[in-house]
Amino acid sequence: MQILRVENVSKVYGSKKSSKQYMALKNISFDVNEGEFIGVMGPSGSGKTTLLNILGSIDKPTTGRLIMDHRDITGLSKDQLAVHRAKKIGFIFQDYNLLETMTLKENIILPLALAGYKTRVMENKLNSIAEDLGIKAILDKYPYEVSGGEQQRAAACRALITNPKLILADEPTGNLDSKSGKDLLELLTFINREYKATILMVTHDVFAASYCHKIMFIRDGEIYNELYAGDDKKQFFDSIIDVLSVLGGERI
Amino acid sequence: MIKLSTLAVRNIKRNFKRYVMYFFSLCFSVFTAYTFFALMENELVSNAFTYDDRYRALLLAFGIIIMVFVMFFLISSNNSFIKARKKEISTYSLFGMTNRKIGRLLFMETMIVGLTALALGIGIGIFFSKLIAMILLDISLASFTGDIEFSIAFKAIYITGIIFLAIFCVMGLSGLRVINKFELVDLFKADKVSEGNSRGSITALALSLLLIGTGYYLASIKNYFLVVAAIPILVLVISGTYLFFWGGLPRVLHLIKKNKGRHYRDVNLISISMFTHKIKTIASTMATIAVLSAVATTAIATGFTLYSSIEKNTYDTNGYDMYFYGGQEEVLDYIYKAFEKHNVRIIDEYTTQRYKCSPEVEPIVVEGRELTFGQDNYFRVYSESEYNRLISVSRSQLRPVYIKPGEAMFGYPGVINDLEDTIVGKLLSFSSDLTIEITSVTQKDILTFGAFYTLVLNDNDFNILNHSGDIIATDRNGDPLDRVTVFKYENPLKSGDLNADFIQILDGKTGSYRTAYNHYNESLETFGLICFIGFFMSGVFILMTASLLYFKQIMAAEEEQHQYKMLRKIGLSTEIEKRVITKRLFPVFLIPLLIGIIHSVFAMKAADTMIFSNMLPVDNSYIVVLSFSAVMYAAYALVYGIFYFITKGQYSRIVK
Ligand SMILES: Nc1ncnc2c1ncn2[C@@H]1O[C@H](COP(=O)(O)OP(=O)(O)O)[C@@H](O)[C@H]1O
Ligand SMILES: [Mg+2]
Repeated sequence: MQILRVENVSKVYGSKKSSKQYMALKNISFDVNEGEFIGVMGPSGSGKTTLLNILGSIDKPTTGRLIMDHRDITGLSKDQLAVHRAKKIGFIFQDYNLLETMTLKENIILPLALAGYKTRVMENKLNSIAEDLGIKAILDKYPYEVSGGEQQRAAACRALITNPKLILADEPTGNLDSKSGKDLLELLTFINREYKATILMVTHDVFAASYCHKIMFIRDGEIYNELYAGDDKKQFFDSIIDVLSVLGGERI
Repeated sequence: MIKLSTLAVRNIKRNFKRYVMYFFSLCFSVFTAYTFFALMENELVSNAFTYDDRYRALLLAFGIIIMVFVMFFLISSNNSFIKARKKEISTYSLFGMTNRKIGRLLFMETMIVGLTALALGIGIGIFFSKLIAMILLDISLASFTGDIEFSIAFKAIYITGIIFLAIFCVMGLSGLRVINKFELVDLFKADKVSEGNSRGSITALALSLLLIGTGYYLASIKNYFLVVAAIPILVLVISGTYLFFWGGLPRVLHLIKKNKGRHYRDVNLISISMFTHKIKTIASTMATIAVLSAVATTAIATGFTLYSSIEKNTYDTNGYDMYFYGGQEEVLDYIYKAFEKHNVRIIDEYTTQRYKCSPEVEPIVVEGRELTFGQDNYFRVYSESEYNRLISVSRSQLRPVYIKPGEAMFGYPGVINDLEDTIVGKLLSFSSDLTIEITSVTQKDILTFGAFYTLVLNDNDFNILNHSGDIIATDRNGDPLDRVTVFKYENPLKSGDLNADFIQILDGKTGSYRTAYNHYNESLETFGLICFIGFFMSGVFILMTASLLYFKQIMAAEEEQHQYKMLRKIGLSTEIEKRVITKRLFPVFLIPLLIGIIHSVFAMKAADTMIFSNMLPVDNSYIVVLSFSAVMYAAYALVYGIFYFITKGQYSRIVK
């Protein structure tokens, strides 16, 4: 089932009058179906973050439509978008974006608290997710007291706790060492499988990309190519490298 | 290579928003300093006060308090300002600027801003000096009609300039100390490590409450022991307040956080944790604000209560617009002429004989001492109808009394507290076996006319005792007692010229005389000044404390900016954001204010015991005092509230 449709989305940075206009996305269209685990790859500056921000309604497209759950969200007001984000989308960022003033536990339940859930309900949800994601022991610590990998797990917990339709992750492994990065990817796979969450992940790491079912390659604000994972993981890995070498640009 | 001064000017421009509030409060403190020095210099002002020395001493004491406070405020805001610019300063250091040079740069900035404020503050001071002197004289002197000339007080400019330049130098040095403490590695360290989080301690909480509670308890004791206890009370309450903010409040917040149902509700999670995160860095400021608010509100409440009750107090001690005893034959004609001359209407007048008596009184023991009645401590005695006639001429709010045969009302001066229980029921025996029981007492005593105690008897008893010779109208030498004359006339407190004539007429020619006008004006001078100083001091305190809070919250806003950005990403709507900001800032302003006011309520209790209970002729003077104080608390809270809204507006703009 389709949960997201992107129709002719363009994004222009800079004011209309100024000469310094920059078109970061050019007429992009694609669909996302429920349960997919999609990777987005491309050279630095190709527009990946811009795309993800628009999908997450953090940013507005200059032209084009975005339909989520059969609802056009491009016309919504700022506050309506905030509610939409809180209900339907979970975010995982490269630099975790946890509030350092709160314990991990408080960070995770924050979206629920804002939505006005009862304490009991919040704790139940928290307990089961924290257990699944293996951070139960450190829930009462502050972000600066735990490792980056653990912070990112907590961020994943926070993204997941509202049962969002769509999880958007912008280079989630970017700041992690390879061991923590691998753990997180396995976690995302687990979330995708067990929680039936649809995931869209920006990455420039081939190893990370190889966990996805499908890769979209972006260059200069346009979709350049798509790749689907087959049964053979090794072969998928190699074809990603092939596309990237054609795509050019720096890998980081 | 750009010049240091160019860099300094550029920095000020860039940090303009942070400097603005600081600049205004600096201006205001310069203005205050100048104004006070100018007032002290002003001959007309000091000549207008009869109690010249006392007036000078008060202003001087006030000036010193203000200056010490201004110094604390300036140094502390300067230091937190430098800390907020840590990154910028470390960058200079990274590119090879020595600490001394950075210190010079910051000193230059301080000087540019400081000298501008100095000039502006003095300018404003000169501009308003006439107005302020007029206000001071107007509220302190009912009779003041002169015109104060506009003048520039050069000595005041000189002193103000020297003092503030000295303060700026101290600021520069203290800033250098802060810079020297910076480590270059701090620049590369993540900003995220908490500096301000604290769980507090239950011991600190309990101890702080105990200290404050003991202070409160001592302050509420209705006893003259209070005078001795004043300093210990201050020490207890102030140390308790600081301890509360350092260790107690964090504990309370921690406990709130433990209460999940409450903590997890709505935006509490965000606001409370942001607040606790900053608690350590703001605890001292909050405690200082609480203490200063207490001082300021107590000062204005005391001043206002005193000032508002001057008129009432005048008639409670003086009773009549004018009275004298003795010499009626000689002066009365002149008195009437004076009334005519000044065209003042007499509302009522009465002349009556003074009587005295010295009955045997059952022993009365008050606080271990026995009251003695004898030749010297005789009673001034009235019949019921005489008493009622006299008080009808008085402006004090006494009610007519009805005394049954065999009973008496006992009157004594207000300074003795709680006599009522011991005295009611005591018997008075006279030579003519009439025994009279004291059945009521009054503390309002405006009929003594030279005696210490009064008695009011039933008309019939009075006549019997007069016949029997118990009540007499002669002194111990057998000479007749003077008659007393009381007057009630129009506009008594405003008729200065008439009053001057009375003094001329009465002085030396009568046994004794009093006018309400004199009493009123003497009180006005002292209390008006106290009131004036109270308001001025509160103005300075509130402006500085509030701008210090503003300052800290603006710094906090800059640090918290990215958190709001993050929250918006995960779906914080503008409406919820407003609630977060309100809940984040409101406690920072409210808690110190509230504690300050509670302190003040107890301080007023002590003030009531020491001053007001003797001054205010009502049964529960504390209620009256509190209601006057409440007006001032509300005014203070209002001004403080304006700062809250300014801060909130600026905070919201920064985190947008
Ligand atoms: N707020 C902005 N204003 C102007 N240009 C921007 C802005 N954000 C991104 N860009 C430009 O848009 C292009 C795409 O950026 P981005 O989506 O961040 O790329 P990436 O694929 O590296 O995530 C870049 O050239 C970047 O410079
Ligand atoms: Mg990016």
